[in-house]
Amino acid sequence: MLDDLITSIKKEFIKDIDEAKSIADLEQIRIKFLSRNGLLSQLFDKLKDIPIEQKPLEGKNLNLLRNELIEKFELKKGELKTLTDDENSQIDLTLPGNNYRLGGKHILTQTLDEIKTIFKRLGFSVYEGPEVESDYYNFEALNFPADHPARDMQDTFFISEKFLLRTHTTPVQVRIMENHKPPVRAIMPGRVYRNEAVSARSYCMFHQVDGIYVDTDVTFAELKGTLVSFAKQFYGEDLKYRFRPSFFPFTEPSAEMDITCFLCKGKGCKICKNTGWLEILGCGMVDPNVFKYVDVDPEKFTGYAFGMGIERIGLLKYGITDIRMYFENDLRFLKQF
Amino acid sequence: MRISLNWLKEYVDLKGIPVSEIVHELTMSGLEVEDYTDQSELYKNIFVGEVKEVQKHPNADKLSVCKVFNGKEELQVICGAPNVEAGQKVVFATVGSVVPNGKIELKKAKIRGVESHGMICAEDELLLSENHTGIMVLDSKLNPGAEISDALGLDDVIMEIGVTPNRPDALSHIGVARDIAAIFNKELKYPILNYKETDEDINSISSVEIQDSTNCPRYAAKVVKDVQILESPDWLKKKIIQIGLRPINNIVDVTNFILHELGQPLHAFDLDLLAGQKIIVKSTTKEKKFTTLDSKERILPADTLMICDGDREVAIAGVMGGENSEITQSSKNILIESAYFNPSSIRKTSKKLQLSSDSSYRFERGTDFNNVLFAAERAAQLIAEVSGGKICKGSIDAYPVKLKNKEVLLRYNSVKKNLGYDIPVEKIDNILHRLGFKELKKNESSLTVSVPGFRPDVEREIDLIEEIARIHGYDNIPTISRINITLGEKHDDSEFADKIRDTAISLGFYEMINNPLVPENYSKLCGEPIALTNPLSSDMADLRTSLLPGVLSVVVRNLNKGVKDLALFEIGNVFQRLNKNKIESFKDFNENQNLIFVLSGKETQKTWNSAEKRFDFYSLKGLLKAFIQKISLDNVLTDLYYSDVNSKYDLNFTLTHNSEPIGAGGKVKKQLLQMFEIDQDVFCFEFNLDKLKQIPVQPQKFTEPLKYPKVIRDFAFIFDISVKYGDVNDYILTSSSSLLKKVDLFDIFESETLGAGKKSMAFSLEFFDENRTLTEEEVEKEFNVLIQKVSKEFNATLRGSK
Repeated sequence: MLDDLITSIKKEFIKDIDEAKSIADLEQIRIKFLSRNGLLSQLFDKLKDIPIEQKPLEGKNLNLLRNELIEKFELKKGELKTLTDDENSQIDLTLPGNNYRLGGKHILTQTLDEIKTIFKRLGFSVYEGPEVESDYYNFEALNFPADHPARDMQDTFFISEKFLLRTHTTPVQVRIMENHKPPVRAIMPGRVYRNEAVSARSYCMFHQVDGIYVDTDVTFAELKGTLVSFAKQFYGEDLKYRFRPSFFPFTEPSAEMDITCFLCKGKGCKICKNTGWLEILGCGMVDPNVFKYVDVDPEKFTGYAFGMGIERIGLLKYGITDIRMYFENDLRFLKQF
Repeated sequence: MRISLNWLKEYVDLKGIPVSEIVHELTMSGLEVEDYTDQSELYKNIFVGEVKEVQKHPNADKLSVCKVFNGKEELQVICGAPNVEAGQKVVFATVGSVVPNGKIELKKAKIRGVESHGMICAEDELLLSENHTGIMVLDSKLNPGAEISDALGLDDVIMEIGVTPNRPDALSHIGVARDIAAIFNKELKYPILNYKETDEDINSISSVEIQDSTNCPRYAAKVVKDVQILESPDWLKKKIIQIGLRPINNIVDVTNFILHELGQPLHAFDLDLLAGQKIIVKSTTKEKKFTTLDSKERILPADTLMICDGDREVAIAGVMGGENSEITQSSKNILIESAYFNPSSIRKTSKKLQLSSDSSYRFERGTDFNNVLFAAERAAQLIAEVSGGKICKGSIDAYPVKLKNKEVLLRYNSVKKNLGYDIPVEKIDNILHRLGFKELKKNESSLTVSVPGFRPDVEREIDLIEEIARIHGYDNIPTISRINITLGEKHDDSEFADKIRDTAISLGFYEMINNPLVPENYSKLCGEPIALTNPLSSDMADLRTSLLPGVLSVVVRNLNKGVKDLALFEIGNVFQRLNKNKIESFKDFNENQNLIFVLSGKETQKTWNSAEKRFDFYSLKGLLKAFIQKISLDNVLTDLYYSDVNSKYDLNFTLTHNSEPIGAGGKVKKQLLQMFEIDQDVFCFEFNLDKLKQIPVQPQKFTEPLKYPKVIRDFAFIFDISVKYGDVNDYILTSSSSLLKKVDLFDIFESETLGAGKKSMAFSLEFFDENRTLTEEEVEKEFNVLIQKVSKEFNATLRGSK
């Protein structure tokens, strides 16, 4: 019964709202439709003449109408306010916003975090060890015999005859295996020191991540698989790689992993010394002599180990020209990453 | 290790194999070719030229204008060398060629107004030596226009091989050739001895006695008489130059040649200078002076293995000969030494004397004890050939206790166990055979080989597996794509530091990483430092005892670059010496992880809508409050303020846990800032992270957000100036019922109206109950009681309340 009236009031309301240009216009509309004696109230008054059985339905329709009108009214009110509000119209929205102080991780930490995330996903734990190490952990238990030229590979800072600044994070693998029987799968990030002349490409202190996995049936093939998976996740899926025989006293056989130079894509450039390849890590099968020091039976268990430098990655990946910039902590450098 | 490809070709046939393939295969089998130079490429477009005419340059005194004939035409070239003359045959680099030392392409140029069409080269420009005193003058018989690489025989490929310490066998051409032969499945052609001897028996002339056979197991000698010391013939000089050495004379050159051919270091003595013409090998018993052939007097420590004659020392065994017995221009008869020394003995001597030579480098890595005599004989043959000398009959071979070749068992299935794939048995056998391993026993499942003397690194089965793997190719090892992961708790030592780092960053701090090596005056500031026994420089002599000095260095470095507003943090280890006398165990020092925050400069910049605000003590306190709240320790740590003369801070502030200090900081003392030449306030706080880590954190749990309204009341009192905020705050909290949940200081000031020595502090109080709505009356009652108590306790006057 009231349907026609509802439709016509609605139509009229929409027309009026559309034409409204100011808050004053809107006030007129409010009085006309929504006030105590407005058209809407008059419609509700008609409800008392409706047969009792139709009352719930008609009442509901009227309520819907009321809600709709109010909603449209408020919406328009909001629009008009922003357009005409005197206070806000004076605000210059093009003025700069307020400053917020940001913080950030050192690029070396960010790189290490990325590496940790990948290896943790592959089931590796994370272990750390001391930077001041004993000769035993740094060399002897890693199969560097005393008076062997292999020790020349790592120029060492000593603090006494038997104590030194660790030259690699590899000693942590000995510490882990002393306390955990295989299976052991872990990475060992940390700071290391070398008594080498400081230059743009080499510093006397840098960071490494070592890794180790010892179990029954660990093979060189698994080492390759794991490191290739890491390298693809870290450097990109379309990467080419090669494993080259090398030498480390604590692994046998030993290898170095190269990937195609990502600057020249393998064509040869200054960074890769015209070889097209970049060395990214050293690795190999854990030498049985290392197992003897930590009381693991080399007939029963095999293992692989690997290690990589963190600084080098940034030098290559971001084109950082001088390794010393990492440790100068110039805020303008830190903020770039 | 410099290796000449032409030289290698004398031992292995490399016809038809491109250089790039040789380089690649060597690298992929463990002898990394770090760099190589193809000389025919290097000397492209460089020819023999003939200087036809030399005239003074019109505009420069030191330059000449030359006419150079290149075989086709005469070109005008400007030359700056003092020795250029008409008629000379010279090295002429044409326009478009690349001069080897500079790698720059030559272009037509005007030099002081006169055109120049190329360049006449000096030796250094051709990378033949470091000589730049004048241009290189060539043999007058050479034809103008001939390629210089042909004319001078510079047609070699020189490889720089990075030989790892386990491969002394590859420190010679024959050793590299052996690997190449194995890789390409070729025969290795070993040099063949062919020489005549006189009737004079060596044993009637000379003798060798080994007194220390542990350090010198074998010593062989040959004698060559009536030699003439001359310049070496061209073939020998060329070889010596190609491997980067300088020709000296025919005798020295031969010993160098043998070292680079066979890897056996030799020494040639002037036999007539050896007292009694004899050799005695023994170790020194006491410290001694000795002059080596480089004319330097050295102090030999006791227990140095020496070569002596009848009276005195004549050489430091395996390291360097003595001046007293070296070959001179007038030497006639020579004794050639070829020995095997204990590697670690030579290394000790070389380290102690800080003297390393091509010989000691090889001896300390291990030479071939089986090849000692052969090398002496080959040297004798070559010396006779190039010096006209005569070889005495026989050899001396002092070898008291024969060294045995090692025997190693290889179980074929171990190859798969370690590498993860099968290599056919025939392949395995062939690889080992080609590398010089002799088959001793063999059955279906295993092979026993005898290890050649030149492979001291091979001792165990795993070493043989590496040999097989590297020659068969690491590329052939499969790359598996599935791994098994053991389930179980995964350990992470770095978790706590990572959490701290994330928190610091969320508070607007940038992370620093400083070098823990610091100068002594820094390390001494904060404890007992550990010093390095062999520092690189005095700037990096000690390990840091605190993160503070490093941070101050960073502050000043940034200030000097105009970066003046800093909010930084660092997590790093600090080191304290615990035992003043010695460091023999981990108990003698302490290594600890610390965290430091630093604030300096402006906290807020002046902008169009805000005033500038500089970091101050309360910025630091606020930061710390937020920080410990973020790591859920806000109710666990206690603030402590006390002045301490030893502290590095004014406005000293300490955080404690159960009365134990966990961290300290404040405003860095003026005198410390002066030491670092910092001219603005710096606020730091350093935590002992290892201690912080130990504090148990309450397990996180959910708290229902408050359902009932809070009631806020404010009051302000006039206090005596000496009354501390902290005391008032604590008093209010402890004197009220549990309905009072929070007290905030929102205003503090002094003024004339308050009177001298007075200050006003205004507090906002928050009352609520988790389980009900508070009534006006009970809050009012509570509030009034507090007003009275505070007034009484602090003798304070209420200024107002609401």
